[in-house]
Amino acid sequence: MTRVAMIGGGISRFDVHRREVAEELVAQAYKQMLDGMPELETKDIEAVMMSYFSDHLNQQLCMGWIIQDYLGLSTKPGYRVESGGSTPIDAIINAYFLIKSGYYDLILVPGWEKMSEVDTAKTNEFIAAASDTDWDFTVGGYYNGYYAALEVRHMHLYGETEEDLHRIAVKDHNNAVVNPFSQWVSQHGTGKITVDDVWDSRLICWPYRSLNIANISEGASVLLMASEDVAKKYTDSPVWFEGIGLGTDSMRPGDRLANWAWKGLYPEDEAIYPAEMAVPKTPYPEMANFGSMRVAADAAYKDAGIEDPMRELDFAEIFAPYNGVELTLWEDMRFCKRGEGKTLIREGVVEKTGELPTQLSGALTAQGHPVGASSMAMALHIFWQLTEQIPKVYGSKASSIQQSGAEKALIQGHGGTGCQGGVIIFGRD
Amino acid sequence: MEEKIVEEKSALKEWIAWARKGNWSIPGYRIVEAPKGPKLGETTTARYMIVERPHGVTYQHSLGLVSKFFEGLLNKELWGAFCPKCGTTYCPPRAHCWNPDCKVVETDWKRLPMRGEIWTYSVMLFSATAFMEKLPFVLAYVKVDGADTALPMQIKGVRPEDVYIGMNVDLNFVDEPKGDLMDLYGVPSGKVEPPENAALQRDPESVERLKGDLEKTYEFVLKRFGIDNRIR
Repeated sequence: MTRVAMIGGGISRFDVHRREVAEELVAQAYKQMLDGMPELETKDIEAVMMSYFSDHLNQQLCMGWIIQDYLGLSTKPGYRVESGGSTPIDAIINAYFLIKSGYYDLILVPGWEKMSEVDTAKTNEFIAAASDTDWDFTVGGYYNGYYAALEVRHMHLYGETEEDLHRIAVKDHNNAVVNPFSQWVSQHGTGKITVDDVWDSRLICWPYRSLNIANISEGASVLLMASEDVAKKYTDSPVWFEGIGLGTDSMRPGDRLANWAWKGLYPEDEAIYPAEMAVPKTPYPEMANFGSMRVAADAAYKDAGIEDPMRELDFAEIFAPYNGVELTLWEDMRFCKRGEGKTLIREGVVEKTGELPTQLSGALTAQGHPVGASSMAMALHIFWQLTEQIPKVYGSKASSIQQSGAEKALIQGHGGTGCQGGVIIFGRD
Repeated sequence: MEEKIVEEKSALKEWIAWARKGNWSIPGYRIVEAPKGPKLGETTTARYMIVERPHGVTYQHSLGLVSKFFEGLLNKELWGAFCPKCGTTYCPPRAHCWNPDCKVVETDWKRLPMRGEIWTYSVMLFSATAFMEKLPFVLAYVKVDGADTALPMQIKGVRPEDVYIGMNVDLNFVDEPKGDLMDLYGVPSGKVEPPENAALQRDPESVERLKGDLEKTYEFVLKRFGIDNRIR
């Protein structure tokens, strides 16, 4: 079977309000890609895999048809993927399957989201419609609340502090200050922040303050994916998909206390449970960890032949709309053992100069989080990193985050409270 | 196959009129000058027309085979479901057991006691539109005694800074249940004593900070809605 590569892409910057409409934002990102690939004929694109999460944020069904015709690609097969926050990583992985299977050789993956047409509280409500609306939504829950509750459970079991979360916020925001697509930079400039700034930001739902949380975003990104033979026609430096994995977990987090599908799957993690706590029927992941991402990561590591991710990966882009999610996912993706996430931030392992830097792009909390566009932007960050183009694309100041000589990187994405998601390992020759 | 109405309390007339108001029509607009372009440092300015487009609707949504749970709320009864094969008790209930070994066998109903334990929680100081005037509030996942899963609900009658994982709660119904989960809420039962490792209370500074933040939210809600949500 062919290898699959990403060979290019573009981003239209993320911000609270982008007044261009979705198709115009996608066109800007697409144009950026085409400008960088003069040898590419648009007619050679064989299919379009579209990534956007919401129909109701814009009162528009079948937005994909508008996008595709706007780009002049209306004769091409088109697909739409939708799985909440997992949408963009699923779109990339679906395009991967189509290329890997030999069906198509060159697929464009455009992603976008316009999330500010209704006010922030209403946007939160619309997003919360992706939780179980008969149960979790009706009690005043929405994603800030669900994620905060999951984090409180993890804090209680494994002892990370609010300050640990704030240190992650500092890392992610300060990585983003050289990123010209960053919502944080557009809204707040290029000054760096400290832990005190995070303490001073508004408490949204304990333990999360506004600087711990991804804000409402608008923006677009496109990714171009190709089979091995076709990739080599357009570039000398493709970035390869070396492994992929997908995973799922229950819709309602409260059900994870007795989710029999997990029983016995990860006995080592089940055993890492404080002695004085009541043990649920299924102790891993219960409400503390993101088991779906363990399943996805293990599959991706197997696919890519990775045995020790901490040693073999050079950096990672984690889908963390809240800082505690990043910390917890380090555990679920085996960067460390369950319960030890806090040590990776305390010891600087995940800083840009550490052994395994995470969120060099600033990721969701600082680069921004227009849902359908998020993972393509993070994948493109990996593309530019592994092809040593960060200073060229971002500007010379960004050489501070360029990981020179890096060969392997991981991207992870998920939706809901870890209800569904995927992991991809990228590498270069 | 026909269906027969057994009981009805409908507010549909009132809400249909509300939902119809302004549907898809454009009652207003504004024209703004705002940035254009994909990259910071390279943007230009463009004029954009932004129109107002109201939209509303009322769904007639069946609660399916677990309707008994919601009907139970109307009657101030708490129901869970249990699996006749593996014995797992579900609250929220499931009409079919999800244990892979049980092959989606249908569950049976079981009355549950009005007590439980907070499995985890968060303190909400900002919320979706529908819940703004209730801020701040505690959103908790409560494992009802005898159930193996956790049911989301609000916790009342206790200052948010005193809530902790493992807290025992009594479950109460509101005076006039409407048939959704807001009919049910928890209040602390017995002594409020956070364990040493409690995520919040293990750090006295965290508690003080939270109290300060809560005060701002109490003030905001009082000013905006005229409601004082402080617990005394």
